[in-house]
Amino acid sequence: MDRSKDNANPTILNASDLPSRRRELSAKKRDDGGTGLFDGLVPAYNYLNDPFDGPLSSSDSDDDSFEDIDEQEIYDLIAPISDPEHPLSLAELAVVNLPDIHVEPPTSPQSSISTVVVEITPTITHCSLATVIGLGVRVRLEQALPPRFRVDVRVKKGAHNTDDAVNKQLRDKERVAAALENGTLMGVIRKMLSTCE
Amino acid sequence: MSSLQIQPLATLSPPSNSRCWQSVPHPSQPLIATACSDKTVRVFSLTSFTLLHSISGGHKRSVRSVSWKPHTKGQSVLATGSFDASAGIWRRVERGPEEDFTRHGRDDDEEEDDEDYQFSCILDGHEHEIKSIVWSPSGQYLATCSRDKSVWIWEELEDDNFETVAVLQEHDQDVKCVAWHPEEDLLASASYDDTIRLYREDQDDWVQVCCINGHSETVWCIEFEGSGMGEKDFRAQKGELSEEQIQHIELLERSGPRLASCSDDSTVRIWRRQPKEGADHANGHAGVPSIIRSFSVDEEWVEDAVLPQRHDRVIYSISWSRKSGLLASTGSDGKIVIYKERWKEQISNGVTAAGVDKVVNGIEAPSRHRMTEWVVAAELYSAHDVFEVNHAVWAKRCDKGRRSDDEEIIVSTGDDGEVKAWTVEEVKPQAGG
Repeated sequence: MDRSKDNANPTILNASDLPSRRRELSAKKRDDGGTGLFDGLVPAYNYLNDPFDGPLSSSDSDDDSFEDIDEQEIYDLIAPISDPEHPLSLAELAVVNLPDIHVEPPTSPQSSISTVVVEITPTITHCSLATVIGLGVRVRLEQALPPRFRVDVRVKKGAHNTDDAVNKQLRDKERVAAALENGTLMGVIRKMLSTCE
Repeated sequence: MSSLQIQPLATLSPPSNSRCWQSVPHPSQPLIATACSDKTVRVFSLTSFTLLHSISGGHKRSVRSVSWKPHTKGQSVLATGSFDASAGIWRRVERGPEEDFTRHGRDDDEEEDDEDYQFSCILDGHEHEIKSIVWSPSGQYLATCSRDKSVWIWEELEDDNFETVAVLQEHDQDVKCVAWHPEEDLLASASYDDTIRLYREDQDDWVQVCCINGHSETVWCIEFEGSGMGEKDFRAQKGELSEEQIQHIELLERSGPRLASCSDDSTVRIWRRQPKEGADHANGHAGVPSIIRSFSVDEEWVEDAVLPQRHDRVIYSISWSRKSGLLASTGSDGKIVIYKERWKEQISNGVTAAGVDKVVNGIEAPSRHRMTEWVVAAELYSAHDVFEVNHAVWAKRCDKGRRSDDEEIIVSTGDDGEVKAWTVEEVKPQAGG
């Protein structure tokens, strides 16, 4: 690949400085996006968030979907996603940050739908890969969280030149669905997610 | 206030195990076709709520939208639009008289017929995903729209011979939905660019005749009101009407069927065409020789109403009943909401009671008083458990339990892969309650 990187020298956070907490529970994957195929690509440096990879008891399926999932758990799910152009995780690049993650409860007592809002901070303002990173975060959370969560991924205000356009795309379910049927793009996403779990 | 209740009737079986996008009832038969992300279309019976046919092997990606050709004799013709950028035409010979499908006690007969839908032809031209496909009410035209920002109009010259009659590239972005006027060759399209555009033929060319700016986010779905609804909706109610109300009914008659739209801005809006000066209406028609009038195809559509906001996330679909004028909406929050239009309460001097808020410091709001209001008649949470609902449509009730020839059900389609039928019942006021 000839493409030069948008940001050749990003700021990198030390792994030990990243917010973490032993996860007491971990949301299951609803759908294995075939990440196993990419095991060979998992960079050796990344053991950041891999507390226990044994399968969780299959009992915690739909019945206990009202378990609380907090910001740290959301962070743990997306922190190990690999940057599409650097051999680093989104957490290490500070693309995803704990204070920019919010879990919002249902808006009505009759509703059981919670919303997860993740604001991402692309490494530099003209990062052309912001959409791909956002898509990776959205796919990761949609696969890992119970279906009662709606996932809203946005570019943090002012962090990106075309954030409105990127946000609108990431918000559009139909375009996200179509993008995931695009083999090339899905290959990039799978590679990014191959460092999760 | 709620006056209707949405009750579960059936989950069509078997469900798909992946997202379904849209379900469209057949214009005359008790059938409904569902567009699925597993690249298939499923055709279910609305008498038994079971799967009759699965149409596969045609599209390489999700089927996003389907449309039955109206007025076909002896066969069913289904058009499919896919994320693979192509549209398909499928045919199936229908045995037996179409008329008697509503008869009781024979709902097994037609399901024994295992003859499948035959692939008939493919319509290529779009560069990206097709988002919506719909036949015109006459069956003469087929409209498609795509992420490639274009709207195409196809004309079927003879069976399987389609000609492109127009490629309309007015939108700046992804086009989400196309809809035909029920009486005129007037096409509307809704887009990711937040606008709705209308087109008609002018001297052999299809041109844009109106651009509606009103929504602040992607417009996901549009649908015209049915034809002749003045006989069926609030306007048909007996009782004394005021002079203003009579004028309002006449205005609606001159405007013709209205247009409804729903958006990522969480609103449903109704648009009405301004009758043209000199156009056919009761008085003053004879005076102006048409040759002098500088005729323009441009149309002006104005906002007629903003419906009560009951969705807190994107609204994906609306459906306007052809029988009752009730409007149903559904979306990401998993709710189905039914709205009803009614006269606003009048006070003695002809000013609408609820319209008082329009008068600020003695200055009337620029628009005329709203004569009618839309109220929420029913609201259902979690129609598809916690999943998003992509589509909800009114359909004629055909199963054995139906209570009248006119009874309608709502059919919803969700991310859980399920297609569900719902009855809509009047809530009887409880005695002493």
